[in-house]
Amino acid sequence: MSEMEVGYMKKIKNKLNVNRRNFLSGTAALAGLAATASVVPITISNANHKEGTKGLPNFISWKNRDALIVHSDKGIETHRSAIGESLITPNRNVYIRNNMPTMSDSQIGDKNSWEVSIEGVKNPKTFSLAQLKKLGHTTIATILQCSGNGRGYFEHKVRGSQWKTGAAACVIWTGVPVKAVVDACGGIRSEAVFMTSAGVDHVPTGLAPKKAMVERSVPKKVYLDAILAWEMNGVPLPNAHGGPLRMVTPGYFGINNVKHLGKVAFTTKESAVKYMKTSYRISPIGKKGPQYPSCWEMPVKSWITRPTDETGTVKAGKVQIVGVAMGGTRKVRSVKVSVDGGKSWKRARFVGPDLGKFAWRQFALETTLSSGTYNIASLASNGPDKQPKLRMENRRGYAHNGWMDHSVNITVV
Amino acid sequence: SADDAKMLKGLEIFNETAGCAACHILKAAGSEGNVGPNLDTVSLTVESVKEMVTYGLGVMPAYGEEGILTKEEIDIVSFYVANSAGK
Repeated sequence: MSEMEVGYMKKIKNKLNVNRRNFLSGTAALAGLAATASVVPITISNANHKEGTKGLPNFISWKNRDALIVHSDKGIETHRSAIGESLITPNRNVYIRNNMPTMSDSQIGDKNSWEVSIEGVKNPKTFSLAQLKKLGHTTIATILQCSGNGRGYFEHKVRGSQWKTGAAACVIWTGVPVKAVVDACGGIRSEAVFMTSAGVDHVPTGLAPKKAMVERSVPKKVYLDAILAWEMNGVPLPNAHGGPLRMVTPGYFGINNVKHLGKVAFTTKESAVKYMKTSYRISPIGKKGPQYPSCWEMPVKSWITRPTDETGTVKAGKVQIVGVAMGGTRKVRSVKVSVDGGKSWKRARFVGPDLGKFAWRQFALETTLSSGTYNIASLASNGPDKQPKLRMENRRGYAHNGWMDHSVNITVV
Repeated sequence: SADDAKMLKGLEIFNETAGCAACHILKAAGSEGNVGPNLDTVSLTVESVKEMVTYGLGVMPAYGEEGILTKEEIDIVSFYVANSAGK
């Protein structure tokens, strides 16, 4: 290329840049500024300060500060020991991961009038929340887990919240089966391949839907398990968790459980928005693109919740090793525990009720430990699949279920 | 000093050139955007900001990869943000 050509290319590039800038800092961003300035102002409350840590943002001031690790006001993790020793994670302890700002009461308006449109069905319809409540009623327990849970264990520099174990929760949802909604619309159109759900939480930001809308496609079959939920652990779905209506896709990563749900469409193609096309793709380090698998089914996984390094040293003698184990889209079958870094394993027993294949099971192993240091690990199996020892290296630090990184070191005195 | 000039230029990029202010709260810049993390609540290094600004994340554009900002502008705004955030 001659110097002149190089100069010409630069000019074109600069022109493109100017256009992009206009897009970003011009109308779109200004609209965003105008909208966000008046909406959901976040100030950090100092009321619940723990030493050396930050307070909670106002939109979740009702949460249990002591149970949470604040990575930022949009990324808040549950301590390993606080995901719930009674199987279900209390709402006050459930992690927060927001792609768009949580909608406020005033943006949501009357909750019973909240609308969701159903498309890609024989008779497309729009239902209010009040109407949905007449179509059907069910309760299910599922695991909500961020695709990046465990990212904090990856050793290459991964952007995003450095979650360890606490971007996960076991939650009881109440709502209407998607199947009942679909039946009320005459059934799914036969050519559909995906169930595509879209939130409306990008609307107040004024940002372009293609970049900001959280719209996620999952294989169509998921609709048979999915529900549209308005209640979380026995209370109306909090705004911070996507209220008043959220898609729940059992066995699928958190991002597919679309918050502030405005549309469910049965589509022939995957959504073309950024959050589907390029984000949440599991690609090798240094590579990216829509050709890589999306964060869909969660793999089998488990981790120890007690005793943990958070509790400091453990007294010698009888010890209860406790944890949670999940099977992903299958029922979890067994879990083994090691106190010597995986050299030997003992089968733990499941405790507490079985809330179905999409919930996690608690496990416990009673053992006696004398003074010394121990590496405690757990290894779950769902039958065909068991946890690998090592993480699957990938660019964005997704879907980590390797048992070694999730183990804990304790000192017994 | 040179650093003062860098901070001033960084503020301009933050609020105007790149429009970071539209999506982030940062007291030092007087910005109130609430799409991305509140930068007053996080501690950042120049390197980590540079990574984020260059490659983007989620709705945040890849200012480097997409050629929205020059490398020099990214260096400056990263210096500015790392030295203004988490205060």
